[in-house]
Amino acid sequence: MSATETVETTDPQPAPSVAQGSGSVRGRWGEKAALPVAWLVLFIVFAALAPETFLSMGNLSNILGSQSILFMLALAALLPTRSGDLDLSLGSIGGLSAIIVAVLNVNHGVSVPVACLVAVGVGGLCGAFNGLFVVKFKTEPFIMTLGTGTLFGGLVFWIANSTTIVGVDRSLSMWTYLRQIGGVPVQFFYCLLVMLVIWYVMNHTPLGVRNLFVGQSREVAVLSGINADRIRFGAFTLAGVIAALAGVLYVGTTGSAGPTSVETFLLPAYAAVFLGATTIQPGRFNALGTGVAVLFLATGTAGLQLLGAQDYAQQLFYGGALVLAVAISRYLRRN
Amino acid sequence: MATTALELHHISKTFGATKALQDVSLTVQRGEVLALLGENGCGKSTLVKVMAGVYDPESGGRMVVDGEDVPLPLHGDAARHLGLSFVHQDLGLARPLTVLENLLGGVAERSGSRTRIHWRAEARKAGEMLRSYGVDVDPLAVVNQLPPVEQALVAIARAAEELKQHRERTGASSSVLVLDEPTVFLPEEEVRFLFDLIRTIVASGASVVFISHDLPAIRAIADRVTVLRDGKLAATARMSDVTDAEVVEMIVGPAAAGLSSPKHGQAHGGHRPDAEEPRSFDRAPEAGLHVTGLRGGQTSGLELHVAPGEIVGLAGLLGSGAEEVPYLLFGAKQASGGELTLRGRSVPLTKQHPGQAVGMGLALIPADRRRDAIAPAVSVAENMMLLVVRRFSRGGRLRNALLRSTADERAGALDVRPRRTDLPLGTLSGGNAQKVVVGKWLEIGPEVLLLHEPTQGVDIAARAEIYRVIKRATETGMAVVWVSSDFDELATVCDRVVVVSGGVAVTEIVGQGISPAAITASVYGADPGATPNTRIVEQVAP
Repeated sequence: MSATETVETTDPQPAPSVAQGSGSVRGRWGEKAALPVAWLVLFIVFAALAPETFLSMGNLSNILGSQSILFMLALAALLPTRSGDLDLSLGSIGGLSAIIVAVLNVNHGVSVPVACLVAVGVGGLCGAFNGLFVVKFKTEPFIMTLGTGTLFGGLVFWIANSTTIVGVDRSLSMWTYLRQIGGVPVQFFYCLLVMLVIWYVMNHTPLGVRNLFVGQSREVAVLSGINADRIRFGAFTLAGVIAALAGVLYVGTTGSAGPTSVETFLLPAYAAVFLGATTIQPGRFNALGTGVAVLFLATGTAGLQLLGAQDYAQQLFYGGALVLAVAISRYLRRN
Repeated sequence: MATTALELHHISKTFGATKALQDVSLTVQRGEVLALLGENGCGKSTLVKVMAGVYDPESGGRMVVDGEDVPLPLHGDAARHLGLSFVHQDLGLARPLTVLENLLGGVAERSGSRTRIHWRAEARKAGEMLRSYGVDVDPLAVVNQLPPVEQALVAIARAAEELKQHRERTGASSSVLVLDEPTVFLPEEEVRFLFDLIRTIVASGASVVFISHDLPAIRAIADRVTVLRDGKLAATARMSDVTDAEVVEMIVGPAAAGLSSPKHGQAHGGHRPDAEEPRSFDRAPEAGLHVTGLRGGQTSGLELHVAPGEIVGLAGLLGSGAEEVPYLLFGAKQASGGELTLRGRSVPLTKQHPGQAVGMGLALIPADRRRDAIAPAVSVAENMMLLVVRRFSRGGRLRNALLRSTADERAGALDVRPRRTDLPLGTLSGGNAQKVVVGKWLEIGPEVLLLHEPTQGVDIAARAEIYRVIKRATETGMAVVWVSSDFDELATVCDRVVVVSGGVAVTEIVGQGISPAAITASVYGADPGATPNTRIVEQVAP
């Protein structure tokens, strides 16, 4: 009964035989490929239903380019999630960034590059603020970032004076949305770049390995001498920076910023992060998986719109995809 | 009216090849305190679990409660309806809730969920109930804000009250309260509060089975003692008829001096052969690990010196402080005092943290493998190479292929099965996972290896492999602090065993004097006033 009297007990998980082990690897391949295959199926279905419009160059570029705000925000959300935390304030940080760019540029005549730098800097500060309160004061990230997110959202309303600010310098739109490479808005490539950098750091550097342990088994990381606090703080801060970039893309895409803007992308962004954890490296929150998930969501919503679905179809698709993907991957792992 | 509250006859239970209980019989008289004693793994826990209906005993066993035969095995709640109640070391209280809410748990269940709870009346009743047992605790206090002794009193009073209500409801003449090591985490001067409560409970008509390793406590409260050894009934006696030395002999077996019992031989292939010469060590003051004045948890000023290449075992009963030493030295648990010196570098242990410990060349293999030692969802290779991951990076780029091939090589040397370093570590058996953990730490070539129960849930073959690998690592001067409640293991691997009691090192056993029986005897007789242990222990000045 006592803690030291369990000599005869075995580990809670029995050892699988080698045969089971290789079976699970087959299962893993199926799991890894599930989301890309689903994406392909979705693509073929839409192409068959609406070959004229869906396969048009304009639509393909729309699929890749239109969801860049979501893409960027999902990459921001990936970082704290990967280190075992959750940041619900990232939408508000993106919104704050957008309104800062708009107010500085439109109301104060600050040039676009400087306005963007300020916005990104503020995003980093907001992220560091989250990191400070969650990590140093050892609070629950869910509750703390719910609080800071509301706080940042309040700042947005205050700065915006509850109105939408329009007329941001067109040069910003040139650098994000209007300029295209191969018919795809350049902002999509910014997202790809950020995704690849995160992928590289996570999978090809010692920091990435340490970060993996902090997220997967924090006690083990700490008892291996890893400074888990520093890694978590860094993830929150960097997430703030990337969320601010999402805000900049929002201003570039719409030419304006209002009291609510990027906030609405927060839940789809997390949908992409969790969906992404079911593919490429199943069971791990990973950058490529997040990218695939964003494209999957973008393809689905674009296709549904072309078929004439209403606005609510987008939400139905985001939510349905997440629920199904998580349930199916859980089911696959159990068998 | 029956004179016995509970009788168990011919209880046997086998797990795989292990005979946990063989033909054990036990009687609890009405209104007595019976102490149940025995080494770790002697079958006490199994016996309690049979009484509670957790385990089904083999056929042929009988159980008599209050003079009536009870069909075995018990199922579900049967033990409670028979008037048996159990308080385990963890007390079974919901700690964030108030005392009253904890006490009402049972009431709410009985009266159905639709009845309104009259909080003020219930609080008054609960206060009266606690006072009737001499327990003066505010029912509205939150449990985890109470001192440990009051938590224990509340849990025991709750169980006693359940038994009392059982007797009133059914007209039974007796009932049995089983206390499983309730004194372990209590300060010595507070144990007497518990004794007062136990006496009150016995006076109210219940019998108490008191499981403990604490001889002075047993001496103070028990009427009779029953001892189990290797799954068999070893002896039963009136406490007034036996000395502490005789009780220790019942626990470790007759002719214990120098001999290990048969079970030990089977489990570990015998301990150190007599031919093996004790190894000699560099005892220069500047060499090896020195710990002075270690305080924190249950330790209170512990001193320890381990020479380079030496394996020192720490043995002690639960609550002695021995099991906390590795965590305090590593900074995994905050010490309140003490200093650690390694290779001329001294650090205050109040400022120790795992990062610094790893930097100094300390390694910790904790007991809770799944929580503290392995990332189950991460691959074997990554788990194994975590500490040296920087070694595989060139120009900031991690050479994953080299990492994996190095891990493959190490897994081969440690005989990790299956030989698949790409699998998540959580899919390996306990023994193989532990080999990976050992390999992970030996990879940094630590100066000091700290181990706590390193072979729990580890099969015999893997144990032997782990012993071999660690012994070989000591040849290059690695000092080892090995904390285990498995005294056969300590006898097998250690050059010296330090017995810890009351938070300090009290006895040393060295060289040929080390045997499981000698360690057990010393641990139980660790109170220097109770039994002189020089009889079987070679005392050595540190």
